[in-house]
Amino acid sequence: MTGHRDTRKGHIIPPEAAPLKALTVTMTVMCYLACLAIGALILINRAVDNWTSGLSREVTVQVRLLQDTDIERELANGKALLERTPGVTGVEVLDRSAGAKLLEPWLGTNNLDDLPIPRLIRVTIDEKAPPDFDRLDADLKKSVKGASLDTHRRWEAELTRMASALSALSYAILVLICISTIAMVIFATRTVLDANRHVVDVLHLVGAKDGYIARQIDSRFIKTGLMAGLFGVMLGILTFFLLGLTGTAGGGGFADASRGLLFAPPAIALWSYGALFSVPVIATLICLITSRMALIRMLGSVL
Amino acid sequence: MVRLDSVGLRYGDGPEILKDVSFHLRPGSFCFLTGPSGAGKTSLLRLLFLALQPTRGLINIFDRDVTQVSRRELPLLRRRIGVVFQEFRLLDHLTTFDNVALPLRVSGQREDFYRADVMDLLSWVGLADQAHAYPPVLSGGEKQRAAIARAVISKPELLLADEPTGNVDPVLAKRLLHLFMELNRLGTTVFLATHDLKLVSQTKSTVFHLEKGMLKVA
Repeated sequence: MTGHRDTRKGHIIPPEAAPLKALTVTMTVMCYLACLAIGALILINRAVDNWTSGLSREVTVQVRLLQDTDIERELANGKALLERTPGVTGVEVLDRSAGAKLLEPWLGTNNLDDLPIPRLIRVTIDEKAPPDFDRLDADLKKSVKGASLDTHRRWEAELTRMASALSALSYAILVLICISTIAMVIFATRTVLDANRHVVDVLHLVGAKDGYIARQIDSRFIKTGLMAGLFGVMLGILTFFLLGLTGTAGGGGFADASRGLLFAPPAIALWSYGALFSVPVIATLICLITSRMALIRMLGSVL
Repeated sequence: MVRLDSVGLRYGDGPEILKDVSFHLRPGSFCFLTGPSGAGKTSLLRLLFLALQPTRGLINIFDRDVTQVSRRELPLLRRRIGVVFQEFRLLDHLTTFDNVALPLRVSGQREDFYRADVMDLLSWVGLADQAHAYPPVLSGGEKQRAAIARAVISKPELLLADEPTGNVDPVLAKRLLHLFMELNRLGTTVFLATHDLKLVSQTKSTVFHLEKGMLKVA
Protein backbone atom coordinates (compact mmCIF):
# COMPACT_ATOMS: atom_id res chain seq x y z
CA MET A 1 0.00 0.00 0.00
CA THR A 2 1.31 3.40 -0.90
CA GLY A 3 0.78 6.62 1.03
CA HIS A 4 -1.46 7.12 4.02
CA ARG A 5 -4.83 8.68 4.64
CA ASP A 6 -7.28 9.77 7.21
CA THR A 7 -9.41 6.67 7.75
CA ARG A 8 -12.58 8.70 8.47
CA LYS A 9 -14.91 8.45 5.51
CA GLY A 10 -16.43 11.72 4.34
CA HIS A 11 -20.19 12.24 4.34
CA ILE A 12 -21.50 11.31 0.92
CA ILE A 13 -24.05 14.13 1.21
CA PRO A 14 -22.17 17.08 2.74
CA PRO A 15 -23.99 18.42 5.84
CA GLU A 16 -23.24 22.02 4.91
CA ALA A 17 -24.61 21.71 1.36
CA ALA A 18 -28.22 22.11 2.49
CA PRO A 19 -28.52 23.15 6.13
CA LEU A 20 -31.75 22.24 7.90
CA LYS A 21 -31.61 25.17 10.34
CA ALA A 22 -34.84 26.68 9.01
CA LEU A 23 -36.61 23.33 9.35
CA THR A 24 -35.23 22.92 12.88
CA VAL A 25 -36.58 26.33 13.91
CA THR A 26 -40.03 25.85 12.35
CA MET A 27 -40.29 22.31 13.71
CA THR A 28 -39.33 23.57 17.17
CA VAL A 29 -42.22 26.04 16.99
CA MET A 30 -44.57 23.26 15.85
CA CYS A 31 -43.41 20.96 18.65
CA TYR A 32 -43.84 23.80 21.15
CA LEU A 33 -47.42 24.37 19.95
CA ALA A 34 -48.03 20.62 20.10
CA CYS A 35 -46.85 20.62 23.74
CA LEU A 36 -49.24 23.46 24.57
CA ALA A 37 -52.11 21.60 22.88
CA ILE A 38 -51.23 18.37 24.73
CA GLY A 39 -50.96 20.29 28.02
CA ALA A 40 -54.39 21.82 27.39
CA LEU A 41 -55.80 18.41 26.56
CA ILE A 42 -54.46 16.92 29.80
CA LEU A 43 -55.83 19.82 31.86
CA ILE A 44 -59.25 19.62 30.20
CA ASN A 45 -59.50 15.88 30.78
CA ARG A 46 -58.44 16.24 34.41
CA ALA A 47 -60.88 19.11 34.98
CA VAL A 48 -63.73 17.10 33.47
CA ASP A 49 -62.84 14.14 35.69
CA ASN A 50 -62.85 16.39 38.76
CA TRP A 51 -66.10 18.10 37.84
CA THR A 52 -67.98 14.95 36.97
CA SER A 53 -66.79 13.01 40.02
CA GLY A 54 -67.68 15.99 42.29
CA LEU A 55 -71.07 16.41 40.69
CA SER A 56 -71.90 12.72 40.70
CA ARG A 57 -71.10 12.43 44.43
CA GLU A 58 -73.73 14.97 45.42
CA VAL A 59 -77.31 15.93 44.62
CA THR A 60 -79.36 18.78 46.03
CA VAL A 61 -82.95 18.88 47.18
CA GLN A 62 -84.53 22.28 46.88
CA VAL A 63 -87.58 23.06 49.05
CA ARG A 64 -89.49 26.17 48.02
CA LEU A 65 -91.43 28.24 50.53
CA LEU A 66 -95.16 27.77 49.98
CA GLN A 67 -98.03 29.52 51.70
CA ASP A 68 -99.51 27.74 54.70
CA THR A 69 -96.61 25.29 54.99
CA ASP A 70 -94.12 24.92 57.79
CA ILE A 71 -90.82 24.91 55.97
CA GLU A 72 -88.92 23.40 58.89
CA ARG A 73 -91.39 20.50 59.06
CA GLU A 74 -91.09 19.92 55.29
CA LEU A 75 -87.30 19.93 55.63
CA ALA A 76 -87.49 17.41 58.45
CA ASN A 77 -89.77 15.19 56.32
CA GLY A 78 -87.38 15.45 53.43
CA LYS A 79 -84.38 14.64 55.62
CA ALA A 80 -86.12 11.60 57.05
CA LEU A 81 -87.10 10.35 53.61
CA LEU A 82 -83.61 10.82 52.26
CA GLU A 83 -82.00 9.04 55.20
CA ARG A 84 -84.21 6.03 54.56
CA THR A 85 -83.34 5.90 50.86
CA PRO A 86 -80.80 3.24 49.82
CA GLY A 87 -77.73 4.76 48.13
CA VAL A 88 -77.81 7.93 50.20
CA THR A 89 -74.76 8.18 52.46
CA GLY A 90 -75.24 11.62 53.98
CA VAL A 91 -77.93 14.30 54.38
CA GLU A 92 -77.31 17.88 55.49
CA VAL A 93 -80.00 20.54 55.73
CA LEU A 94 -78.42 23.87 54.85
CA ASP A 95 -79.61 26.92 56.75
CA ARG A 96 -81.24 29.91 55.10
CA SER A 97 -77.98 31.84 54.92
CA ALA A 98 -76.45 29.13 52.68
CA GLY A 99 -79.22 29.67 50.13
CA ALA A 100 -78.86 33.45 50.46
CA LYS A 101 -75.13 33.18 49.85
CA LEU A 102 -75.76 31.37 46.57
CA LEU A 103 -77.90 34.29 45.42
CA GLU A 104 -75.43 36.95 46.49
CA PRO A 105 -73.66 37.19 43.12
CA TRP A 106 -76.98 38.18 41.49
CA LEU A 107 -78.90 40.00 44.24
CA GLY A 108 -76.21 41.34 46.55
CA THR A 109 -76.45 41.22 50.38
CA ASN A 110 -79.22 43.78 50.94
CA ASN A 111 -82.94 43.04 51.37
CA LEU A 112 -82.59 39.28 51.10
CA ASP A 113 -84.56 38.82 54.34
CA ASP A 114 -87.80 39.72 52.55
CA LEU A 115 -87.33 37.23 49.72
CA PRO A 116 -88.73 33.67 49.82
CA ILE A 117 -85.35 32.02 49.42
CA PRO A 118 -85.69 28.24 48.88
CA ARG A 119 -84.02 25.98 51.41
CA LEU A 120 -81.51 23.38 50.36
CA ILE A 121 -80.69 19.85 51.48
CA ARG A 122 -77.25 18.60 50.45
CA VAL A 123 -77.37 14.86 49.78
CA THR A 124 -74.25 12.77 49.51
CA ILE A 125 -74.69 9.57 47.55
CA ASP A 126 -72.87 6.32 47.06
CA GLU A 127 -71.23 6.69 43.63
CA LYS A 128 -71.06 2.93 43.14
CA ALA A 129 -74.68 2.27 44.07
CA PRO A 130 -76.59 5.52 43.57
CA PRO A 131 -80.31 5.73 44.35
CA ASP A 132 -83.01 5.63 41.68
CA PHE A 133 -83.23 9.40 41.10
CA ASP A 134 -86.55 9.35 39.23
CA ARG A 135 -88.21 7.41 42.03
CA LEU A 136 -86.56 9.59 44.68
CA ASP A 137 -87.80 12.74 42.92
CA ALA A 138 -91.33 11.31 42.82
CA ASP A 139 -91.19 10.30 46.51
CA LEU A 140 -89.92 13.74 47.52
CA LYS A 141 -92.64 15.51 45.57
CA LYS A 142 -95.24 13.27 47.22
CA SER A 143 -93.91 13.64 50.80
CA VAL A 144 -92.44 17.14 50.88
CA LYS A 145 -94.37 20.13 49.65
CA GLY A 146 -92.39 22.36 47.29
CA ALA A 147 -89.51 19.86 46.98
CA SER A 148 -87.57 19.16 43.82
CA LEU A 149 -84.47 17.07 43.21
CA ASP A 150 -81.52 18.58 41.33
CA THR A 151 -79.11 15.85 40.25
CA HIS A 152 -76.82 18.36 38.42
CA ARG A 153 -77.12 16.16 35.36
CA ARG A 154 -77.86 19.10 33.12
CA TRP A 155 -74.78 20.95 34.36
CA GLU A 156 -72.69 17.86 34.08
CA ALA A 157 -73.88 17.32 30.51
CA GLU A 158 -73.13 20.98 29.65
CA LEU A 159 -69.66 20.80 31.17
CA THR A 160 -68.89 17.51 29.49
CA ARG A 161 -70.10 18.86 26.14
CA MET A 162 -67.93 21.97 26.51
CA ALA A 163 -64.93 19.89 27.56
CA SER A 164 -65.48 17.51 24.65
CA ALA A 165 -65.54 20.47 22.27
CA LEU A 166 -62.29 21.81 23.74
CA SER A 167 -60.71 18.35 23.58
CA ALA A 168 -61.77 17.98 19.95
CA LEU A 169 -60.28 21.40 19.24
CA SER A 170 -56.98 20.36 20.85
CA TYR A 171 -56.92 17.15 18.81
CA ALA A 172 -57.69 19.13 15.66
CA ILE A 173 -54.80 21.48 16.46
CA LEU A 174 -52.49 18.49 16.93
CA VAL A 175 -53.59 17.02 13.60
CA LEU A 176 -53.01 20.37 11.86
CA ILE A 177 -49.57 20.61 13.46
CA CYS A 178 -48.74 17.12 12.17
CA ILE A 179 -49.96 17.97 8.65
CA SER A 180 -47.96 21.24 8.64
CA THR A 181 -44.87 19.40 9.87
CA ILE A 182 -45.22 16.76 7.17
CA ALA A 183 -45.54 19.50 4.53
CA MET A 184 -42.46 21.29 5.89
CA VAL A 185 -40.40 18.08 5.87
CA ILE A 186 -41.44 17.33 2.27
CA PHE A 187 -40.46 20.86 1.25
CA ALA A 188 -37.12 20.59 3.08
CA THR A 189 -36.47 17.17 1.52
CA ARG A 190 -37.00 18.61 -1.95
CA THR A 191 -34.66 21.51 -1.10
CA VAL A 192 -31.93 19.15 0.12
CA LEU A 193 -32.32 16.97 -2.94
CA ASP A 194 -32.20 19.94 -5.31
CA ALA A 195 -29.13 21.34 -3.54
CA ASN A 196 -27.38 17.98 -3.90
CA ARG A 197 -28.64 17.05 -7.35
CA HIS A 198 -25.10 16.67 -8.77
CA VAL A 199 -24.13 14.32 -5.92
CA VAL A 200 -27.29 12.27 -6.39
CA ASP A 201 -26.63 12.01 -10.15
CA VAL A 202 -23.10 10.71 -9.55
CA LEU A 203 -24.35 8.26 -6.91
CA HIS A 204 -26.95 6.91 -9.31
CA LEU A 205 -24.39 6.52 -12.06
CA VAL A 206 -21.96 4.58 -9.87
CA GLY A 207 -24.77 2.17 -8.99
CA ALA A 208 -26.19 3.49 -5.72
CA LYS A 209 -29.68 2.27 -4.92
CA ASP A 210 -32.38 4.81 -4.06
CA GLY A 211 -32.57 3.39 -0.52
CA TYR A 212 -28.82 3.95 -0.04
CA ILE A 213 -29.07 7.58 -1.19
CA ALA A 214 -32.15 8.12 0.98
CA ARG A 215 -30.28 6.80 4.04
CA GLN A 216 -27.46 9.30 3.45
CA ILE A 217 -29.99 12.13 3.64
CA ASP A 218 -32.68 11.03 6.08
CA SER A 219 -30.27 10.54 9.00
CA ARG A 220 -30.05 14.33 9.07
CA PHE A 221 -33.83 14.61 9.18
CA ILE A 222 -33.98 12.19 12.12
CA LYS A 223 -31.52 14.39 14.00
CA THR A 224 -33.52 17.50 13.09
CA GLY A 225 -36.80 15.97 14.29
CA LEU A 226 -35.31 14.83 17.58
CA MET A 227 -33.60 18.16 18.28
CA ALA A 228 -36.70 20.20 17.38
CA GLY A 229 -38.90 17.92 19.49
CA LEU A 230 -36.66 18.24 22.54
CA PHE A 231 -36.38 22.02 22.18
CA GLY A 232 -40.17 22.24 21.78
CA VAL A 233 -40.83 20.16 24.91
CA MET A 234 -38.33 22.17 26.94
CA LEU A 235 -39.97 25.43 25.84
CA GLY A 236 -43.42 23.96 26.59
CA ILE A 237 -42.44 22.87 30.10
CA LEU A 238 -40.77 26.24 30.69
CA THR A 239 -43.99 27.98 29.60
CA PHE A 240 -46.13 25.91 32.00
CA PHE A 241 -43.58 26.53 34.75
CA LEU A 242 -43.63 30.32 34.17
CA LEU A 243 -47.44 30.30 34.02
CA GLY A 244 -47.40 28.40 37.31
CA LEU A 245 -45.39 31.22 38.89
CA THR A 246 -47.82 33.94 37.83
CA GLY A 247 -50.61 33.28 40.36
CA THR A 248 -51.06 32.23 43.95
CA ALA A 249 -51.65 28.63 44.91
CA GLY A 250 -55.36 27.75 45.01
CA GLY A 251 -56.20 30.92 43.11
CA GLY A 252 -57.42 28.89 40.14
CA GLY A 253 -56.92 29.84 36.49
CA PHE A 254 -53.90 29.13 34.32
CA ALA A 255 -51.42 29.33 37.18
CA ASP A 256 -53.06 26.57 39.21
CA ALA A 257 -53.70 24.47 36.12
CA SER A 258 -50.05 24.76 35.04
CA ARG A 259 -48.81 23.85 38.52
CA GLY A 260 -51.23 20.93 38.51
CA LEU A 261 -49.77 19.74 35.22
CA LEU A 262 -46.13 19.86 36.29
CA PHE A 263 -46.38 18.98 39.97
CA ALA A 264 -49.20 16.45 39.95
CA PRO A 265 -49.07 13.22 42.00
CA PRO A 266 -46.55 10.74 40.53
CA ALA A 267 -49.07 8.55 38.68
CA ILE A 268 -50.63 11.55 36.94
CA ALA A 269 -47.30 13.37 36.45
CA LEU A 270 -45.84 10.29 34.79
CA TRP A 271 -48.71 10.28 32.33
CA SER A 272 -48.44 14.06 31.73
CA TYR A 273 -44.69 14.03 31.17
CA GLY A 274 -45.04 10.88 29.05
CA ALA A 275 -47.54 12.67 26.82
CA LEU A 276 -45.32 15.76 26.56
CA PHE A 277 -42.18 13.73 25.80
CA SER A 278 -44.03 11.80 23.11
CA VAL A 279 -43.65 15.00 21.04
CA PRO A 280 -39.93 14.48 20.19
CA VAL A 281 -40.59 10.81 19.45
CA ILE A 282 -43.48 11.64 17.11
CA ALA A 283 -41.52 14.52 15.54
CA THR A 284 -38.60 12.17 14.85
CA LEU A 285 -40.90 9.53 13.37
CA ILE A 286 -42.63 12.12 11.18
CA CYS A 287 -39.22 13.33 9.95
CA LEU A 288 -37.96 9.81 9.31
CA ILE A 289 -41.02 8.41 7.57
CA THR A 290 -41.90 11.55 5.60
CA SER A 291 -38.37 12.27 4.40
CA ARG A 292 -37.79 8.60 3.48
CA MET A 293 -41.04 8.34 1.53
CA ALA A 294 -40.52 11.71 -0.14
CA LEU A 295 -36.92 10.85 -1.05
CA ILE A 296 -37.79 7.46 -2.53
CA ARG A 297 -40.58 9.06 -4.53
CA MET A 298 -38.40 11.96 -5.74
CA LEU A 299 -35.39 9.73 -6.50
CA GLY A 300 -37.68 7.39 -8.41
CA SER A 301 -38.54 10.18 -10.81
CA VAL A 302 -34.84 10.58 -11.75
CA LEU A 303 -33.40 8.07 -14.21
CA MET B 1 -22.61 -7.31 -24.50
CA VAL B 2 -24.11 -4.19 -26.12
CA ARG B 3 -26.38 -4.09 -29.14
CA LEU B 4 -28.14 -1.08 -30.63
CA ASP B 5 -30.72 -1.43 -33.39
CA SER B 6 -32.06 1.63 -35.22
CA VAL B 7 -31.75 3.80 -32.15
CA GLY B 8 -32.99 7.36 -32.37
CA LEU B 9 -32.81 10.06 -29.73
CA ARG B 10 -34.24 13.52 -29.45
CA TYR B 11 -34.53 15.87 -26.47
CA GLY B 12 -38.13 17.00 -26.09
CA ASP B 13 -39.48 18.36 -29.35
CA GLY B 14 -36.01 19.18 -30.67
CA PRO B 15 -34.28 17.67 -33.71
CA GLU B 16 -33.10 14.07 -33.64
CA ILE B 17 -29.61 13.92 -32.09
CA LEU B 18 -29.02 10.28 -32.99
CA LYS B 19 -30.49 8.75 -36.15
CA ASP B 20 -30.83 5.03 -36.76
CA VAL B 21 -27.72 4.16 -34.78
CA SER B 22 -26.98 0.44 -34.93
CA PHE B 23 -23.87 -1.38 -33.73
CA HIS B 24 -22.75 -4.32 -31.67
CA LEU B 25 -20.01 -4.44 -29.03
CA ARG B 26 -18.85 -7.98 -28.45
CA PRO B 27 -17.67 -9.04 -25.01
CA GLY B 28 -13.98 -8.19 -24.59
CA SER B 29 -13.88 -5.80 -27.54
CA PHE B 30 -12.07 -2.46 -27.58
CA CYS B 31 -13.68 0.27 -29.67
CA PHE B 32 -13.29 3.98 -30.24
CA LEU B 33 -16.02 6.46 -31.00
CA THR B 34 -14.86 9.52 -32.90
CA GLY B 35 -16.62 12.47 -34.38
CA PRO B 36 -16.73 16.27 -34.28
CA SER B 37 -18.13 18.19 -31.35
CA GLY B 38 -21.91 18.12 -31.29
CA ALA B 39 -22.06 14.89 -33.31
CA GLY B 40 -23.89 13.14 -30.45
CA LYS B 41 -21.01 11.17 -28.86
CA THR B 42 -21.93 12.16 -25.29
CA SER B 43 -25.61 11.46 -25.92
CA LEU B 44 -24.74 8.00 -27.23
CA LEU B 45 -22.63 7.32 -24.13
CA ARG B 46 -25.47 8.53 -21.90
CA LEU B 47 -27.74 6.01 -23.56
CA LEU B 48 -25.18 3.29 -22.91
CA PHE B 49 -24.77 4.09 -19.21
CA LEU B 50 -28.54 4.11 -18.81
CA ALA B 51 -28.90 7.80 -18.03
CA LEU B 52 -31.25 8.25 -21.00
CA GLN B 53 -33.90 6.18 -22.72
CA PRO B 54 -33.94 6.09 -26.54
CA THR B 55 -36.78 7.83 -28.34
CA ARG B 56 -36.98 4.83 -30.66
CA GLY B 57 -35.10 1.67 -31.48
CA LEU B 58 -33.74 -1.08 -29.29
CA ILE B 59 -30.81 -1.10 -26.87
CA ASN B 60 -29.68 -4.36 -25.33
CA ILE B 61 -27.02 -4.29 -22.62
CA PHE B 62 -25.91 -7.50 -20.88
CA ASP B 63 -28.75 -9.23 -22.80
CA ARG B 64 -31.34 -6.91 -21.25
CA ASP B 65 -33.60 -4.60 -23.18
CA VAL B 66 -32.97 -1.30 -21.38
CA THR B 67 -36.59 -0.20 -21.79
CA GLN B 68 -37.65 -3.26 -19.77
CA VAL B 69 -35.19 -2.77 -16.91
CA SER B 70 -37.00 -1.98 -13.67
CA ARG B 71 -36.01 0.78 -11.28
CA ARG B 72 -34.72 -1.80 -8.77
CA GLU B 73 -32.50 -3.51 -11.35
CA LEU B 74 -30.98 -0.31 -12.69
CA PRO B 75 -28.29 0.12 -9.96
CA LEU B 76 -27.20 -3.49 -10.35
CA LEU B 77 -26.73 -3.03 -14.09
CA ARG B 78 -24.88 0.25 -13.58
CA ARG B 79 -22.44 -1.43 -11.19
CA ARG B 80 -21.33 -3.53 -14.15
CA ILE B 81 -20.53 -0.39 -16.13
CA GLY B 82 -17.67 2.03 -15.43
CA VAL B 83 -18.04 5.56 -16.74
CA VAL B 84 -15.52 8.36 -17.23
CA PHE B 85 -17.31 11.63 -17.72
CA GLN B 86 -15.94 14.40 -19.89
CA GLU B 87 -16.48 16.85 -17.02
CA PHE B 88 -15.09 14.31 -14.48
CA ARG B 89 -18.03 14.63 -12.06
CA LEU B 90 -15.89 14.21 -8.96
CA LEU B 91 -17.55 15.12 -5.66
CA ASP B 92 -15.74 18.18 -4.32
CA HIS B 93 -16.48 17.41 -0.66
CA LEU B 94 -14.86 13.96 -0.80
CA THR B 95 -11.14 13.25 -0.92
CA THR B 96 -9.59 11.71 -4.00
CA PHE B 97 -9.50 8.39 -2.13
CA ASP B 98 -13.22 8.59 -1.27
CA ASN B 99 -14.11 9.63 -4.82
CA VAL B 100 -12.26 6.67 -6.29
CA ALA B 101 -13.70 4.30 -3.69
CA LEU B 102 -17.27 5.55 -4.22
CA PRO B 103 -18.51 2.66 -6.45
CA LEU B 104 -17.24 0.16 -3.87
CA ARG B 105 -18.69 2.10 -0.98
CA VAL B 106 -22.18 2.34 -2.52
CA SER B 107 -22.13 -1.37 -3.29
CA GLY B 108 -21.78 -1.98 0.45
CA GLN B 109 -18.11 -2.99 0.68
CA ARG B 110 -16.16 -2.16 3.82
CA GLU B 111 -13.20 0.18 3.64
CA ASP B 112 -10.91 -2.44 5.22
CA PHE B 113 -11.40 -4.61 2.14
CA TYR B 114 -10.92 -2.00 -0.57
CA ARG B 115 -8.38 0.40 0.98
CA ALA B 116 -5.30 -1.37 -0.45
CA ASP B 117 -6.85 -1.76 -3.93
CA VAL B 118 -7.80 1.92 -4.07
CA MET B 119 -4.33 3.02 -2.95
CA ASP B 120 -2.68 0.72 -5.50
CA LEU B 121 -4.83 2.14 -8.28
CA LEU B 122 -4.12 5.70 -7.13
CA SER B 123 -0.40 4.89 -7.26
CA TRP B 124 -0.80 3.47 -10.73
CA VAL B 125 -2.45 6.65 -12.04
CA GLY B 126 0.11 8.80 -10.17
CA LEU B 127 -2.25 10.15 -7.50
CA ALA B 128 -1.02 8.36 -4.37
CA ASP B 129 0.27 11.63 -2.95
CA GLN B 130 -3.09 13.26 -3.57
CA ALA B 131 -5.16 10.53 -1.88
CA HIS B 132 -6.45 12.86 0.77
CA ALA B 133 -6.57 15.98 -1.36
CA TYR B 134 -9.93 17.34 -2.43
CA PRO B 135 -10.81 17.75 -6.13
CA PRO B 136 -10.83 21.59 -6.11
CA VAL B 137 -7.07 21.57 -5.50
CA LEU B 138 -6.32 18.99 -8.21
CA SER B 139 -5.22 20.00 -11.71
CA GLY B 140 -7.36 19.09 -14.72
CA GLY B 141 -5.14 16.12 -15.50
CA GLU B 142 -5.27 14.87 -11.92
CA LYS B 143 -9.06 15.12 -11.90
CA GLN B 144 -9.12 13.19 -15.15
CA ARG B 145 -7.02 10.43 -13.64
CA ALA B 146 -9.12 10.31 -10.49
CA ALA B 147 -12.25 10.03 -12.65
CA ILE B 148 -10.68 7.16 -14.62
CA ALA B 149 -9.62 5.44 -11.40
CA ARG B 150 -13.20 5.70 -10.07
CA ALA B 151 -14.54 4.19 -13.30
CA VAL B 152 -12.23 1.18 -13.23
CA ILE B 153 -11.91 0.49 -9.48
CA SER B 154 -14.76 -2.03 -9.47
CA LYS B 155 -13.36 -3.85 -12.52
CA PRO B 156 -16.48 -3.24 -14.62
CA GLU B 157 -17.55 -5.51 -17.46
CA LEU B 158 -18.10 -2.49 -19.68
CA LEU B 159 -16.08 0.72 -19.56
CA LEU B 160 -17.44 3.83 -21.22
CA ALA B 161 -15.21 6.89 -21.39
CA ASP B 162 -15.93 10.33 -22.78
CA GLU B 163 -12.69 12.05 -23.83
CA PRO B 164 -10.67 10.23 -21.15
CA THR B 165 -7.36 11.73 -22.26
CA GLY B 166 -8.58 15.20 -23.07
CA ASN B 167 -6.77 16.94 -20.21
CA VAL B 168 -3.53 14.98 -19.93
CA ASP B 169 -0.17 15.20 -21.69
CA PRO B 170 0.69 12.69 -24.45
CA VAL B 171 2.88 10.58 -22.12
CA LEU B 172 0.13 10.18 -19.55
CA ALA B 173 -2.44 9.71 -22.32
CA LYS B 174 -0.42 6.75 -23.56
CA ARG B 175 -0.19 5.40 -20.02
CA LEU B 176 -3.93 5.70 -19.52
CA LEU B 177 -4.52 3.99 -22.85
CA HIS B 178 -2.37 1.13 -21.57
CA LEU B 179 -4.53 1.00 -18.44
CA PHE B 180 -7.64 0.69 -20.63
CA MET B 181 -5.92 -1.97 -22.77
CA GLU B 182 -4.88 -3.87 -19.65
CA LEU B 183 -8.46 -3.79 -18.39
CA ASN B 184 -9.60 -4.96 -21.81
CA ARG B 185 -7.08 -7.79 -21.68
CA LEU B 186 -8.62 -8.81 -18.35
CA GLY B 187 -12.03 -9.02 -20.02
CA THR B 188 -13.55 -5.55 -19.79
CA THR B 189 -15.27 -4.31 -22.92
CA VAL B 190 -13.98 -0.77 -23.57
CA PHE B 191 -15.76 1.96 -25.53
CA LEU B 192 -13.85 5.25 -25.70
CA ALA B 193 -15.19 8.46 -27.21
CA THR B 194 -12.31 10.72 -28.23
CA HIS B 195 -11.09 13.45 -30.52
CA ASP B 196 -7.53 12.23 -30.15
CA LEU B 197 -6.80 10.49 -33.44
CA LYS B 198 -3.19 9.82 -32.38
CA LEU B 199 -4.57 7.78 -29.50
CA VAL B 200 -6.84 5.91 -31.90
CA SER B 201 -3.96 5.13 -34.21
CA GLN B 202 -2.00 3.46 -31.41
CA THR B 203 -4.31 0.44 -31.42
CA LYS B 204 -5.88 -1.73 -34.05
CA SER B 205 -9.32 -1.37 -32.57
CA THR B 206 -12.67 -0.88 -34.23
CA VAL B 207 -13.42 2.80 -34.74
CA PHE B 208 -16.97 4.09 -35.00
CA HIS B 209 -17.39 7.54 -36.47
CA LEU B 210 -20.39 9.61 -35.52
CA GLU B 211 -21.36 12.62 -37.58
CA LYS B 212 -24.65 14.54 -37.55
CA GLY B 213 -26.19 11.75 -35.51
CA MET B 214 -25.29 9.03 -38.02
CA LEU B 215 -22.87 6.25 -37.09
CA LYS B 216 -20.41 4.61 -39.48
CA VAL B 217 -17.61 2.13 -38.97
CA ALA B 218 -14.44 4.00 -39.93
